[in-house]
Amino acid sequence: MTSFSTCLSGFSGKLLLTLACLAASSLVCAQDTAPKVATPPANPARDLVVGKCLQCHSDNIWRDQRQDARAWEATLYRMLGRGAVWTGEEIKTMANYLATDFGPNSPKVASAIR
Amino acid sequence: MREIVQKYLSKDISRRGFLNNMTSVGVTASAAELVLSSLNNAAYAQTPPSAGASTASSTGAVKQFTGTGGACFAEQLMACGVKYVFGNSASEDAQFYEALVDRPQLKYILTTHEGPGAAMASGYIKASQEPAIVMQAGSVGLMNAMGQIYNAFKEQTPLVVYSYRTEKSRMSGRDNFEEIPNQDQVVQPLTKYSWMARGASMIPETVRHAFKTAWTPPHGPAYLNWNSDYTDERTRTEIIQQSHFDTRMRVRPNPTEVERAAKMLLDAKMPILIVGDEIYKAKAVAKAVRLAELLGMPVTQMRQMWVNFPEAHPLWVGNAPSGTLASITWPKNYDVVINIGNKMQHNGVNPIVARGVKFIDMRIDYNNMGKVMSTDVPLVADVGLGLDDLLAALEPLVNERIKLIAAERAAEVRKYTERSRAIRAGVINNPEWNNSPMIADRVTWEVAQFADPDAIIVHEAGSVAMHSFGFNPVGGRELFFYYGGHLGSGVGTAAGVKLARPNQQVICLVGDGSFLFGPHALWNMARLELPVITIVYNNHAYGGPHSRTIANAPSGRMVETGQYVGSYLGNPDMNMASIATGFGVRAEVVQNPMQFKAALARAKASSVEGRPYLIDVQVARRGIGWNDTPWIPPIKGSAMRTKKV
Repeated sequence: MTSFSTCLSGFSGKLLLTLACLAASSLVCAQDTAPKVATPPANPARDLVVGKCLQCHSDNIWRDQRQDARAWEATLYRMLGRGAVWTGEEIKTMANYLATDFGPNSPKVASAIR
Repeated sequence: MREIVQKYLSKDISRRGFLNNMTSVGVTASAAELVLSSLNNAAYAQTPPSAGASTASSTGAVKQFTGTGGACFAEQLMACGVKYVFGNSASEDAQFYEALVDRPQLKYILTTHEGPGAAMASGYIKASQEPAIVMQAGSVGLMNAMGQIYNAFKEQTPLVVYSYRTEKSRMSGRDNFEEIPNQDQVVQPLTKYSWMARGASMIPETVRHAFKTAWTPPHGPAYLNWNSDYTDERTRTEIIQQSHFDTRMRVRPNPTEVERAAKMLLDAKMPILIVGDEIYKAKAVAKAVRLAELLGMPVTQMRQMWVNFPEAHPLWVGNAPSGTLASITWPKNYDVVINIGNKMQHNGVNPIVARGVKFIDMRIDYNNMGKVMSTDVPLVADVGLGLDDLLAALEPLVNERIKLIAAERAAEVRKYTERSRAIRAGVINNPEWNNSPMIADRVTWEVAQFADPDAIIVHEAGSVAMHSFGFNPVGGRELFFYYGGHLGSGVGTAAGVKLARPNQQVICLVGDGSFLFGPHALWNMARLELPVITIVYNNHAYGGPHSRTIANAPSGRMVETGQYVGSYLGNPDMNMASIATGFGVRAEVVQNPMQFKAALARAKASSVEGRPYLIDVQVARRGIGWNDTPWIPPIKGSAMRTKKV
């Protein structure tokens, strides 16, 4: 299983922010003076994406993608031919999550290279 | 039994003698045949070319020959067992061409470009496991062939390459026409042997050394050359049969290490087997299957050229998707890993097998052993012989308790493989399945439905996934994957494979980008009546590089602006069917699944007639940054003109 630190180093954008919040929240216990950061709500669909996709690659290859649930579903089905073992139900769940955070109207990740 | 094998390999006994001896010591006829088939393969390229030589005494194997350097070259090639010479027109080889006229058993195949010509030679060697040579005109031809020499080096194909030095021997060093310094050294990093003959009489010896080195495992390319005047010069020299200079290197593993490996495997809770191309070369698939079944061991494969285990076998858990063992879905609790003949190509920071897991490595490719992997048990061996020894060490130790453990483990593996196969078959549930232009997975699936049960699939279709074929190297469908990665090899390889295996359907799957690097062998298919079916996945783009470029510069300016300078091949769109027609190959363009099915039927009818066929399938571009009108650089020669000429 992918470790949390691996996820953190590989992800960016909204998902990275969420994961960073999780990491930051663990510091709250140790440092009373640190600013309070709200723990993001549990998101099994996001966890599914993290667990499945990071098995083979970082998010670099798709984090700039913006598309609807049907197109995400098509993207995920393409992984079956590459060795993924994901049920139709899991694909549907992941596609719906991705269409929310990486949908056509989601903000683009700011350019990191100028 | 070993003595009988040694006698056979030393040609002290015939094939029939081998079988009789084996059965006389209690081996069943079928088992003896199985052993024989592996030995025949192990001895490939060592079978003397003529019947007379098969019983050759030392005197019969060596003959004195007088003739031009070109004739000496031809004589030694025949003595090496070469049937086909793949070449491109080379004026300084005139005396070699002269020699061919009266030696029809040495067939010359004229190719229109040195790269695809070398790919064709490689394809022939890989599919026939027989020797061949590829030749070019001087340094200039060599430069075109070097990409395929690179592929042969990476794939460990025993490709022997020759090109003359255009400059005469007594005039070198004057910056002659086509002269470059140290021509043989240009290919040195990519070959096992590169040498220049220093005289006409040395030509046969140089040829022998090249074949011996290339065909001694681990295999790899060899290069030879000499000044062009040596080809014209008359000389007297020796021609020696292959059987009398080959080293017959058959390495058995260290017996102590075999015992250690056996114990480690028996003590393992979840051993896993990685298979590789050395198994295919040694025709040892049945032995690998036997090893896996004996221990109820799951089997996987890292990146390789061939599929080396039957994909329908219940112990086959699938390829490692991203090239490390950590990327396989199941099992995750392996405690002993045994590699049999996989090259274990590392493309990332992490070792293929994580540190801390016991690792047994069996292969003849000693140079790549212990390079990245921490290896507990090294077994340097011909994997066919190595598997024999390992099985012989294991079988007496497999008691009832071990059998029960293996059976329980096999049941666990089967449970996973049945479930995973059912899920992966869901690739057809892709919501874009019926789209036009087609998605690549649909094209692949249709080809898999269409292909013969023993079809050979030559794959140079970029990042297209080869699902649904159920490859089986033992009498089923076979895969020839473009492992080396120098593009432009697919069409040539397919032509060479068909030449070697005329009675099997050969289907070449190629991306439009790959195809454009080397379509030339289409002409050879038409001329030589090699009915290959070529399918071009034409998405008018370098799709793989496009995606990887974005992965290497995520969220960058390219993504922001949509300006991908290295991706789009359209505007105007290229028509691969028109290119094929120009080479004399029937062809058509298809847009959707219905048209594709009908085209495949026409392709089949054409191949029955002995004629090749090409289908240009319009494929959808998928991934980040694509739209209906991709950006192209604003460079227009017409806008730069001041005169309309």
